[in-house]
Amino acid sequence: MEESEIIVIGGGPGGLSAALAAARAGAQVTLIDAYAHPGGQYYHQPPERLAEHSNAHQRQGQKVLSTVKAAGVRIVSETLVSSISPDKTLVCNSPQVAYLQKAKRIIIASGAYEQPLPFPGWTLPGVLMTGGIQTLLHQHVLPGKRVLLTGTGPLQLVVAKNLIQAGAEVVAVLEGNQLIKSSGLRATAMWGQWERMAEGLQSFLTMMTNGVPYQLGWGIVEAHGTNEVTGATIALLDQDWRPVKGTEQEVICDTIGTAYGFVPFNSLSKIAGAQQAWHPELGGEVPIRNEYFETTIPGIYAIGDGAGIGGFWMSEMEGELAGIWAAKQLGHEKQPADVAITHVRSRIRRKNRFQRLYADLFNPGPGAFEMVKDDTIVCRCENITYARLREAILTGDLTPQEIKNDIRTSMGRCQGRVCSRMVLHTLARMSGKTVAEIGMFGVRPPVFPLSIGVLASLDVE
Amino acid sequence: MRARDVIRFSFDGVQMLAYPGDTLVSALYAGGKRSWRKSRPGDERGLLCGMGICFDCVLSVDGVSNVRACQTLVRDGMVVATNMVS
Repeated sequence: MEESEIIVIGGGPGGLSAALAAARAGAQVTLIDAYAHPGGQYYHQPPERLAEHSNAHQRQGQKVLSTVKAAGVRIVSETLVSSISPDKTLVCNSPQVAYLQKAKRIIIASGAYEQPLPFPGWTLPGVLMTGGIQTLLHQHVLPGKRVLLTGTGPLQLVVAKNLIQAGAEVVAVLEGNQLIKSSGLRATAMWGQWERMAEGLQSFLTMMTNGVPYQLGWGIVEAHGTNEVTGATIALLDQDWRPVKGTEQEVICDTIGTAYGFVPFNSLSKIAGAQQAWHPELGGEVPIRNEYFETTIPGIYAIGDGAGIGGFWMSEMEGELAGIWAAKQLGHEKQPADVAITHVRSRIRRKNRFQRLYADLFNPGPGAFEMVKDDTIVCRCENITYARLREAILTGDLTPQEIKNDIRTSMGRCQGRVCSRMVLHTLARMSGKTVAEIGMFGVRPPVFPLSIGVLASLDVE
Repeated sequence: MRARDVIRFSFDGVQMLAYPGDTLVSALYAGGKRSWRKSRPGDERGLLCGMGICFDCVLSVDGVSNVRACQTLVRDGMVVATNMVS
């Protein structure tokens, strides 16, 4: 079995930064990435034929990537890590073959995924998460002609801008939070975060000049259509995101984009046995880490959005710190690691304040988890309706595991990434507990489905 | 785009065109198809997350089922079909 010094999992900004820092310190680094090209969602690279149309993020990503390569990082693309054991053995699988690999140190930079939330009609083709819209726009393909955006957060504004520039009509952007009424803007937390606010502001201006309404405290109630989206019902929401009766309006649109925030992808540290904790302000369940971002499993680090939603800058800084420290643990140090780490830490503290404000402002309220009818599908893999979920809880399923065994939620291809949050919130509400008290679903390998053929190629000698 | 730059694939027996670098999702959308799976009778499905997370966009590629359309680059001559397993 091959043994590496340091394996970084995930080629987004955090993983690239960790790999670069460790390699520059002199460590031998392998970066494993799921996609054809490293960069993650933030640096998502366009296909070659559209390279000349690269946007600022993509150009920045190309620069970072060439620096990382020049530093001697070995990049393994199109490879998923489907399990990690506490002795730091990884089960990797490329499209053709599965293999084991060992590492002295592992830095998990698995990122986050968008929170999907059910509402009547949400399985209709044309209802997309913002990631789905961005995926199409990267290829210069429009998701539809008339797009309604709903959910919360500045990402909606960026997507609206991208859609307008690509030639689509954005019917409206519905921001579920009332923003101004909620927590107010705290100048101390915003101070100095100019680059971060600039993008939001620029997107907002594009929207305004194109006459797109930005409706604070509004949200979708239902998507309409038979074979695909043809319209939606929207309504004013109260502070808890519950629709205010009598305010419903009909909207004609062929595409609906939802943005309900992000969920840390913590499955890999969890599967390795690292202890987790529930932190709503960090996006949910995240690994417990020490000041060097090491999990409770020695030698396994977790950084970036996968360890708590913090966005691009936080991921980069955490990656840098963990990379420097992991290299130092193996005896590699070009510049004094302690000095570099102290420097990164002070930058992290500043961004942290902003992140807390952000989490405060743009969180879906409890009503977002109640926007379902009896026949609304909650688990898309196994076609399990809300009525069935509720019945399972009423007839005595009191833990996520019991629900899973009973009605198969989170046993499908997505491994619960789509439905588990909704199941937890429903269970919490119906049993009068908090989500933290209930705990998450357990996770079992493989984290991503493996074909039997690929699995059979695994050489366990 | 010149004609020789276009690649061809089939979806449920129908010839479709794509550009090199297209994913199955972008090629199908560009070809006017927004759904390519029936989860159960009358329940059409297509793209949702676009990030490889939800597995809602799966289809069958060259005889292999459960392939994520959003994560698969189109290759010339690819035979794509509605997913065989539910």
